[in-house]
Amino acid sequence: MKLKVGYIEIRDIMTADKAEVRDGVLYVDTKALEAIALEDEHIKSVKFDVARPGESVRITPVKDVIEPRAKVEGPGDIFPGMTTKVATVGSGTTHVLRGAAVVTVGKIVGFQEGIIDMTGVGADYTPFSATNNLVVDFTPVDGITAHEYEAAIRTAGLKIAYELGKLGKNLTPDETKEYDFPSLMEGIKKYPDLPRVGYVLMLQSQGLLHDTYVYGVDMKQSLTTMLSPTEIMDGAIVSGNCVSACDKNTTYHHQNNPVIEDLFSEHGKTLNFSAMIITNENVYLADKMRSSDWSAKLVDYLDLEGVIISQEGFGNPDTDLIMNCKKIEETGTHTVIITDEYAGRDGTSQSLADADAKADALVTAGNANQVVTLPKLDRVIGTLDYTEKIAGGFAGSLESDGSITVEIQAITGATNELGFSRLSAR
Amino acid sequence: MVLTSLKRTLLITNNPLVHEKYADKQETEFVDDGFQGVLKAVRDHVHEGYRLLTHPLSGSVKPNENPYKTVLLARSFANTDADSVMLVEQCIITAEKFEKKVIHDKHLHDLQVVDLSLISEVLERNRAT
Repeated sequence: MKLKVGYIEIRDIMTADKAEVRDGVLYVDTKALEAIALEDEHIKSVKFDVARPGESVRITPVKDVIEPRAKVEGPGDIFPGMTTKVATVGSGTTHVLRGAAVVTVGKIVGFQEGIIDMTGVGADYTPFSATNNLVVDFTPVDGITAHEYEAAIRTAGLKIAYELGKLGKNLTPDETKEYDFPSLMEGIKKYPDLPRVGYVLMLQSQGLLHDTYVYGVDMKQSLTTMLSPTEIMDGAIVSGNCVSACDKNTTYHHQNNPVIEDLFSEHGKTLNFSAMIITNENVYLADKMRSSDWSAKLVDYLDLEGVIISQEGFGNPDTDLIMNCKKIEETGTHTVIITDEYAGRDGTSQSLADADAKADALVTAGNANQVVTLPKLDRVIGTLDYTEKIAGGFAGSLESDGSITVEIQAITGATNELGFSRLSAR
Repeated sequence: MVLTSLKRTLLITNNPLVHEKYADKQETEFVDDGFQGVLKAVRDHVHEGYRLLTHPLSGSVKPNENPYKTVLLARSFANTDADSVMLVEQCIITAEKFEKKVIHDKHLHDLQVVDLSLISEVLERNRAT
């Protein structure tokens, strides 16, 4: 499968009567976007705001971040099975409004979490301090259930991003990249001497606030399966995950998965990127057994020589991660796992809830228990009412001067387990 | 081995919503205690011959943020299930390292809803199969 991705650089977002992209500025018609959001009977009202890099703005509680993209040529459309028809995506041409993001905000449950600071210390911990963000704050109708509210915000966010993405459809990209994911046999013929490497992407799939959708399918209802990494760039995987702000994969993370990006950049040079496998993280232990068995069976069948496994979330996904790692290693395939750590505030506690001697190659995305104090910022988009309750915040974490002391797990994307973050070690 | 027959399963919970919804549908033990209290009750049952059907650290809301926990077990007809013993002990250790947090009463219902959702996904799906 071949996908050409054209990047249109966006350096600012402004509201206007006419929606368009002109000279690197994304002009948004909030009235038209509001009408799209209100198509859902569960949404009472919606508020738009723009947050730019460097502004003294705190956004919280963040639900999802989505990059506007448009299908220019080729089958299917962005977010297939979710907000567009089911059809295989991942080939042809796609345009991206790079530098722009839709950030959805809404208090689905009282302890909703996720902070994006556009400036100060907090900005260093989230990649979304560097994007121009159209923040959409949703208020639900009265009497709505948490499930209905989550689904409404998730869908409306995707539709708004889709609408913005279309504005880049007829523009000339500032940069174009080509991603060629050949069939297994083609790859082997082309690169007979390079090691065949695969990627096992684990997706959060436990229940309310913990879900991921693939072509519209709730991933907990799927067995481990395969697709082309280019399909993911076209929005085949979207996030319904709202908890664990630091290490959940937002839709934006899926669209821009850095493991996929790096595997493509080494493809044909040091390795042969041969397989993209996706698996779930369910609550039921028998599901964990089945799904990890299936990951290992696929890896074995494809005769891969090395596999990268990335995790999403904390706690019981550690068990899925170790099961995947151990069973794949037992097929004779080397693994490298990517995770983050909950090693206590001083970093000395055991990092994962599970372990195995076969997990001997690990990349860490940081210690989510690390504590930071975020300064008071001039403006809050969303609400701080719940700050002491968000993951990583603690009693009294909102100080009287407006500063917040939190563990970095409160910050959206801080220890992202795809490696889409700014933390590194010296 | 039958995994899905609810007749052989035991639900251990401290979540009133879960108790309300499932107590008359299947064997349910209500634990009037916190997160760790539930895990310890689970551990005791595992030593009595039950095995885990769901992961004790289900959910990514951290153990010190959600006081509610529900775990599904199955009666085991063999000896004590070593995998279950190790898993629940590991979960107790993991949960203990999180610092205590004050949880506001106004959030309790939402936290119950999330815990209920996680276990419902398991019970409803496996009831249907």
